[in-house]
Amino acid sequence: MKRNVLLAMAFGALLTGTAAYAHHSYAATYDVEQSLRLEGQLVQFALRNPHSYLHISAPDAEGNVQRWAVEWSGAGALSRQGVSRDTLRSGDEIVITANPSRVRGEFRALMVTLERPVDGLTWGTRPGEVVD
Amino acid sequence: MNNVPQAVARCVGILMIASPLAAAQVLVGRTAAPPDISGEWVLETSEDQGQLGGLQPAPDDYLGVPFNDAGRMRSDTTAESIWGMWYYQCRPHSAPHQWRGLGGARILSELDPLDRSIRAYRVQFWRSLDRPIYMDGRAHPPAWAPHTWTGFSTGEWVGNTLVVQTTHLKDGFLRRGGPQTSDMLTMTEFLTRHDDTLTVVQVTDDPVYMDEPFVQSTFYHYDPTTRVNMESCNAATFAESGGTDPHFVPHHLPGRDLFIEEWLPSENWIPFEAVRGGVRTVYPEYRSTLDGSANAADLDVPSSSTHLAARDRVQAQSPRDGQVHVLPVQGNLYMLVADGRNLAASVGPEGIMLVNTGPAEMTGDILRTVTELADRAAAARPNACAGAQCPGVPGWSSPYTNAVISSPAPARGLRYIMNTNAAPHNVGGNAPLADAGEGRGGRAAVIAHENALIAMSGPLDDPWSTDADAWPTESFYSDIYKLTSYFNGEAVLAYSTPATTDGDSIVYFRHSEVIAAGDIYSTVSYPRIDRARGGSVGGVIDGLNRILDLAVAEYRSQGVTWVIPGRGRLSDTADVAYYRNMVQMVSDRVQALIDEGLSLEQVQAARPTMDFDPRYGADTGDWTTEMFVEAVYGSLTE
Repeated sequence: MKRNVLLAMAFGALLTGTAAYAHHSYAATYDVEQSLRLEGQLVQFALRNPHSYLHISAPDAEGNVQRWAVEWSGAGALSRQGVSRDTLRSGDEIVITANPSRVRGEFRALMVTLERPVDGLTWGTRPGEVVD
Repeated sequence: MNNVPQAVARCVGILMIASPLAAAQVLVGRTAAPPDISGEWVLETSEDQGQLGGLQPAPDDYLGVPFNDAGRMRSDTTAESIWGMWYYQCRPHSAPHQWRGLGGARILSELDPLDRSIRAYRVQFWRSLDRPIYMDGRAHPPAWAPHTWTGFSTGEWVGNTLVVQTTHLKDGFLRRGGPQTSDMLTMTEFLTRHDDTLTVVQVTDDPVYMDEPFVQSTFYHYDPTTRVNMESCNAATFAESGGTDPHFVPHHLPGRDLFIEEWLPSENWIPFEAVRGGVRTVYPEYRSTLDGSANAADLDVPSSSTHLAARDRVQAQSPRDGQVHVLPVQGNLYMLVADGRNLAASVGPEGIMLVNTGPAEMTGDILRTVTELADRAAAARPNACAGAQCPGVPGWSSPYTNAVISSPAPARGLRYIMNTNAAPHNVGGNAPLADAGEGRGGRAAVIAHENALIAMSGPLDDPWSTDADAWPTESFYSDIYKLTSYFNGEAVLAYSTPATTDGDSIVYFRHSEVIAAGDIYSTVSYPRIDRARGGSVGGVIDGLNRILDLAVAEYRSQGVTWVIPGRGRLSDTADVAYYRNMVQMVSDRVQALIDEGLSLEQVQAARPTMDFDPRYGADTGDWTTEMFVEAVYGSLTE
């Protein structure tokens, strides 16, 4: 049993290790110590590699509606977690928590959690659901 | 278990007896050769897994990099978000980093099928394009040839070490998310195989951003059981920066956006000074500063300057040598480098079109050069087929037969001149070259924006005023001008782009996929913004964005639409994007200083261009860095 736990931990470490393999550096792109909440309407869902993107229309801190680009995992990783091209549809009302960009004036963020209140769809709350 | 040593001994004994025989057999039909380096090579730990034990590189960490002040500022202000710009999505990782990137390497040997000599090695990394290392003795291209993500590499075996020289690289980074490199860097690599270990020693020489070459060694082991893949990457038609401005340039303002404090306090064994890099921090002598007994600034370290001065390397792209150099570009187009000024020439069966005519003193050489190109284009060529194998009408009327038995039609002459503005270095040869051309009235037509005509036909004491023979015979005032008919098999369009003056335009050859940018774009200087003639920094940015909107990349931010700058090397979208980024960053920095209430003199003293000065700046001459900053300041405060 103990051996199985260790194996599981090792496998988990391997999975976590893939978190480093982004095309660009997340730590340099986003302030991972900060969090912002975006509540708005999905405009576009680009399921692609090496990273997927959600474009959502949501207000910024001043209340001005902006087009936000929220970076998500690549298509392969998301498909393993059950996210497919038709999981989200344009017009969906969604709530996202994300790490903001380090760049002033950018409306870009790194996905932490996603919620679709209408049906309770969530992502980012279960083990392994982190952007790779 | 006790039998194992005996078994080993027996095997060794057999090998000792057998090896001379084997060697004798092996030598038949074989020759001594350097070790075979081809195959799959695996890297034990990559840089992508981060420094300092983390999973990602720490921001603003330049430990061990012999940076100068410009390199440090360039890196501090470069946002990792640039990967998300339209023009950079899916660009390959930087060449100096590739040997330490994820996925290891594959090395292929390309053999001559006849004599089986090695003509080239091809190196492939997970996040690179194919990188050839030519072994056939070819020369490196001239300095005005394009730069690529993998550069131009030649190799030579010295004993058992392959020595590789690489030039013509684009800008990039030494390590992910951190220290930046300029496009003036060169690399020397030493590849040595010891059994199943490959040692790569890499010397990166960037005279723009480093005080001395940066040396790293990396070890690979041979593993034929795995192979390096190609990273899947789908670029998108939207910028990843969000918002609705497709031309947004993400960057950090100097001195305002440093992120060291996020991680350095927990790594307090590293001095802040060392984290910032610099030649005095990379030698053992630096240790004497750790107990406070010495200052880094006072250290007498055995540093050496990089072997080529930055300005020399930059100016080599635009040689002021009184010569006309020809670089074939694509389709009908050639780039002419005439005493440092670039012209575009369309040469084909319908004649010659020149975009700009260069300085007046170069007219004779330019005319001679384009005439030779036209004669070459019109010259008879050996038939590519014979008789009925040829398409079209066979027999005596076949154009293929005629090409053999008769002389070809004479080359057509110069028919069109297009000026991208009225600057003397662009219109200097208008009159004599138009006179030597053919067209209505026995002269070539001259086409330019009407504001260029106004400048050329201005008061006689204006240095841009010219004789009437040099004036445009056809001017346009609209946003787009189209040549009224196809020329040499393609549409030619001019776009009005008021940038350095109010009479600027760019010329787009739509089938050849070549854009002549004129003075909006240079790879050797800051844009020469003439505010008295209607130029502005905003206009330059808009003009460069216009080029970026028209241009496309062949693959991974490289190639296909070629852009001929007013001065400097032939470029592609990524190069123009780099230049546009630079101008936008400088504009934003100056605007931020203006917002703080600084005067022009205070802004100049703040050196908002410091990181780009070794690349584009000048302290002397007719367009200095000080004048550029003044033009930016004036544009933003008028």
